[in-house]
Amino acid sequence: MGKLKKISVTGGKGGVGKSTVAILLANKLLAKGKKVVLLDLDVECPNDYLLLSQKLTTPVKKIWAQFPKLNKAKCTKCGLCARNCRSQAIFMPPGGYPLFVSELCSGCGLCWHLCPEKAIEVEKKIIGEVFENKVSSNFHLITGRVVGVVDESGPIVTKAKEHGLKIAKRLKADYFLVDTAVGLHCGVIRALLGSDLSLAVTEPTPLGAHDLRLILDLLKKLKIKAKIILNQADLGDKKEILKISKERKIKLEKEIPYSKALAQAYSKGKLKEVNFW
Amino acid sequence: MKIAIASGKGGVGKSMLASSLCLLLSKEKKIVAVDADVDAPNLHIWLGQKENWDLKKEISVLEKAVVDKSKCVGCGACEQICAFGAIEVVNRKAKVNQLFCEGCGACEVVCPNKAITLKEVKNAQIRVKKNVFGFPLLSAQLYPGETGSGKIVDELKSRAEKFKYQTMVIDAPAGTGCPVIAALNGVDRAILVTEPTPSGFADLKRVLQVVNSFKVPWKLVINKWDLNPEKSRQIKAWAKNHFLGKISYDQNIFKALSSLRPIIKTDLPAKEEILKIYQELLKWWE
Repeated sequence: MGKLKKISVTGGKGGVGKSTVAILLANKLLAKGKKVVLLDLDVECPNDYLLLSQKLTTPVKKIWAQFPKLNKAKCTKCGLCARNCRSQAIFMPPGGYPLFVSELCSGCGLCWHLCPEKAIEVEKKIIGEVFENKVSSNFHLITGRVVGVVDESGPIVTKAKEHGLKIAKRLKADYFLVDTAVGLHCGVIRALLGSDLSLAVTEPTPLGAHDLRLILDLLKKLKIKAKIILNQADLGDKKEILKISKERKIKLEKEIPYSKALAQAYSKGKLKEVNFW
Repeated sequence: MKIAIASGKGGVGKSMLASSLCLLLSKEKKIVAVDADVDAPNLHIWLGQKENWDLKKEISVLEKAVVDKSKCVGCGACEQICAFGAIEVVNRKAKVNQLFCEGCGACEVVCPNKAITLKEVKNAQIRVKKNVFGFPLLSAQLYPGETGSGKIVDELKSRAEKFKYQTMVIDAPAGTGCPVIAALNGVDRAILVTEPTPSGFADLKRVLQVVNSFKVPWKLVINKWDLNPEKSRQIKAWAKNHFLGKISYDQNIFKALSSLRPIIKTDLPAKEEILKIYQELLKWWE
């Protein structure tokens, strides 16, 4: 066994088939006798476990974060915390005590360090969990998932990834596949960093082309080697995707035609049995 | 009235539905449309618009930590406080990872030597277009590699407020994180969209946690209904009186999209289904 190869699957746009591609790639590598750890880092909406008919039962790791809690006895209602909170998560009702809006709070800690009366205490809460599923003897799935409503999910991605890497090393895996969230945001960036190669999945529509350009810009900025995967390649119009591939000299690695069998396997959570690549 | 369209999972039909509802609503009311998917904004494409914006403006809604190395003694207080793992002391000097910095300012507060200040960064471009249908669309593009999408959504919404409108339609991004929270914060109604797959249903329940935390009344549209009618019926039964309507799966939607034709301007079966959803929506609002 050689060095662990790290490949991420991303795409900018939602619903283009990132998870499907990640699992099809895993299936292909498994068929070659490779040991694969698949990491689902779409922590806000992780679905790979569903596509592989797995259940997320007991987390192997819990991710904690700190949040503010007011001690009214010490608070002088000075309003310094509310004025300085850049998440606008502290609301100062006229004449009242500050109210912390947990949905908007990133847990950055500014308020409790700033409070001159030390009236803001720290409360620890679980914001994320990591799960481990042994799908088959050579195939492990690690899932990071947000608990409840969390404004800032980036740290969950980082922690879940650290844990996944540890497991990949312990299992002496050959491949570390990372399935990212949609978009370009910090959760996606954290998932992408450290990849040897990133597969940008897209579809043959103006939406697919628009978002492919964006994700390729991001990958370029992060200095990650990219290849394009065109899903549902025979629907819509792929001219624009071919143009992007040519202009940017990024290889169109694979075209996956629309397949009813694949769509059904997806919808029934039976992607593990599909060999399509 | 502010209404948001959200789904958790991406690619289930949020922008298709949002664009259609915008077109239908704009015939009767003054509307303003907000594309809150600032990572990958697509609403203008569903409205048949190319990148010909009336106004493009670079904005800065985020600050990032900058270290004055002459003042930094490498004590590590900033590294310790940073909840986002964005600061590391290297060779006795604090170093900020710009990709991870959320601009919260906690490091600035704890630095005993005032070596850290927050500086504005240009992190997005906002775009406005009064389109051929007569209503303004506000959209933004987060620059690849930048952060702060939630704050950009807040900025878009506050700019949209300046237009005279009766209904603001907000197309939320996928996921459940900060830009989704920002999109749903303060809306009067939410329309959730899902598809009959285990992923679509699971993500619907996850985004519903955000909707419920703001106590927003919501309705559900099931798109691609006939992809798995059994699952569709199961989700419909689960939604009870929240169910608003359905849209059938149709590969021709891909083709309409490729020629930049809004669904409501086609003769596809989806058009009739969306009209029905629109009628139900008006009843719900009364």
